[in-house]
Amino acid sequence: MIKHVDNPVIEVHDLTVSYSSKPVLWGVDFSLPAGTITGIIGPNGAGKSTLIKSIMGLTSMSSGYIKLFDQDLDDVRLKISYVPQRESVDWDFPASVFDIVLMGRYGRLGLFKRPRKADKEAALECLRDVGMEAYKDRQISQLSGGQQQRVFLARALAQDADIYFMDEPFAGVDAATEKAIMHLLRQMRDAGKTVVVVHHDLQSAQTYFDWILLLNMRLVACGPIDEVFNEKLLQETYGGKLTLLSDVSTIIENKGFPTRE
Amino acid sequence: MTVFGAISDFFNLADPLIRNVVLGTVLLAISSAMVGCFTFLRKRALVGDAVSHAVLPGICLAFMFQGTKDPFVLMIGAFVTGWLSLWLIDVITSKTKLHEDTVIGLILSVFFGIGTLLLSFIQQMDSLPDKTGLNHFLFGSAVAISNQDLYAFGGIAVLLIISVLILYKGFLVLSFDEAYTRTIGFPVKLLKLTLTTLTVLAVVVGIQAVGVVLMAAMLITPAATTRFWTPRLPLMILFSAILGALSGFFGAYGSYITNSPTGPWMVMVLSMAAVLSFLFAPKKGIISNLIRQRKYRAQIVEENILKAIYQLGEQHSKFYEEYTVDHLLDRRPMQPLKLTSGLSRLKKQGYLTNQSGQWTFSEQGKLRGQRLVKLHRLWELYLTTYLRIAPDHVHDDADTIEHIITPELEQRLEKLLEYPETDPHESVIPYKSNPNN
Repeated sequence: MIKHVDNPVIEVHDLTVSYSSKPVLWGVDFSLPAGTITGIIGPNGAGKSTLIKSIMGLTSMSSGYIKLFDQDLDDVRLKISYVPQRESVDWDFPASVFDIVLMGRYGRLGLFKRPRKADKEAALECLRDVGMEAYKDRQISQLSGGQQQRVFLARALAQDADIYFMDEPFAGVDAATEKAIMHLLRQMRDAGKTVVVVHHDLQSAQTYFDWILLLNMRLVACGPIDEVFNEKLLQETYGGKLTLLSDVSTIIENKGFPTRE
Repeated sequence: MTVFGAISDFFNLADPLIRNVVLGTVLLAISSAMVGCFTFLRKRALVGDAVSHAVLPGICLAFMFQGTKDPFVLMIGAFVTGWLSLWLIDVITSKTKLHEDTVIGLILSVFFGIGTLLLSFIQQMDSLPDKTGLNHFLFGSAVAISNQDLYAFGGIAVLLIISVLILYKGFLVLSFDEAYTRTIGFPVKLLKLTLTTLTVLAVVVGIQAVGVVLMAAMLITPAATTRFWTPRLPLMILFSAILGALSGFFGAYGSYITNSPTGPWMVMVLSMAAVLSFLFAPKKGIISNLIRQRKYRAQIVEENILKAIYQLGEQHSKFYEEYTVDHLLDRRPMQPLKLTSGLSRLKKQGYLTNQSGQWTFSEQGKLRGQRLVKLHRLWELYLTTYLRIAPDHVHDDADTIEHIITPELEQRLEKLLEYPETDPHESVIPYKSNPNN
């Protein structure tokens, strides 16, 4: 069940992605409406992170194209924000919480301009929004998992974007942080922003998202939650791997075969 | 010239030759230390080592083909092979299944091997003029650098320093989170290329003074050392620059006094600072780690004593009884030496009093003992109710956790368990407000 929408803000067309020639996503094709919170759901190794990474231009695609606001990513970068997985960076880096959140302003400032007073105020405001103002000068190495995630969220907020892609923002965070993040995401949606979240917990998915994208190496379903979140489709997403598909992937990898001519 | 004369000559910096040598070494040490901060933070320390070894064949080839020791010619040769090595590392890592560290080791030794081979060819070639001093590239000799060369090196070093300052923001975000840097539209490839070029340039500028063998230390050691002292990147860069400058100054000095290569002297100065930092840096140093652990161990002993006295008090329903060391050992077996030293510390801190071998609680001591017993029992209850651990398996865990729980956690624990009256073993949990305790 793949529901295409009119006037989509995110449009992914026939996307195929391979990692060192091993295909991890096959022919993914969907569109998402503005002002929604979408959950990308699927088992481990389903390619959830890969999907948003390729939308953000972080992995090269074997085929397909992506449009954001009907434009190429490079033309709308300032409107798009990406929150990587918390574990993807080294938190022992010599920087304070404020330093990291200020990075949210770098896109606007460009490579050479120094952060102005207004940028610092904006960053502080975002720290306040995630309830971390008191930790402004704290070393990032001293943060708990939940606090790290809040800092990443504050950095994203400081970008003041229209679309947010978040990779597992609820992984390994405490209940209070999860609640706080969800509250913020709803506020953002109500302000007309579009949020796309990689998520792995089916239970909470039911209440968190307006729109669901079920993924397991290929797109199983994409649509409003009440049309998509049912046992049949979930069974199809989680019910065993498509062994034929992953066997073909392995052959392609081992032989160094190109995925596309 | 006497040694003393040499020393005073050096420190007066009156001789323009010495002055220039010192200035040049200091500048190049500063520039490589600053660039090295980002090499270090991007975890590319080994790459720095590879580059510095890989410049040797370039120098030799440039000399063989041009027959000159003009520093610009040699530097161009050095730059080319330095770059080539990095490019090869990238290509081989991405095209094969070899790990990067393997590839770096491979490239480093191949390039350095070719370099030393060429160096020995050069020594045997009679057609080449004036080949003395080429050996200096192995371990470096700041004194052997001509004045003109120093201006060139100094100029490039200043350029490097300025580049790092201008691109600070880009390098910062690149080193912390490369994926994010790409998503905000920064030219990541160009930034990495620039940083690599700066690294190669820092090496190229430094080799004549420091030598290819030890150049990597000039990049990495200042950053690794100052990381122990500060958690702020701007300060880390500043301290690294200062440390680099000091090593440059004393390196030139040691080399001048003893008429030996400069590189080892500079590296010795840096290494000394590094070792001292690893040992003595506050918070992150080994010594302060040991001290902290000792303190914790002492605290555990002290708290166990207070707990034992409180429990004895519970048995007799009198908390200000007097106990001998043997009483306490009966209640809680521990090493007698640890016990006696713990007792005397507690006396000094005012938690216990001692009258001719008889130990008694002070009021504060009793309160602290009571709190520990309370925490122990609360934690046992928490484990049995929330983690469903059998009551006979919770004691050891609680014996550790009771020392760690902060007042804030204590409150949360009490609230969560709703101020229970007894623990899983039916022992009464002593609250401060309860007059019976």
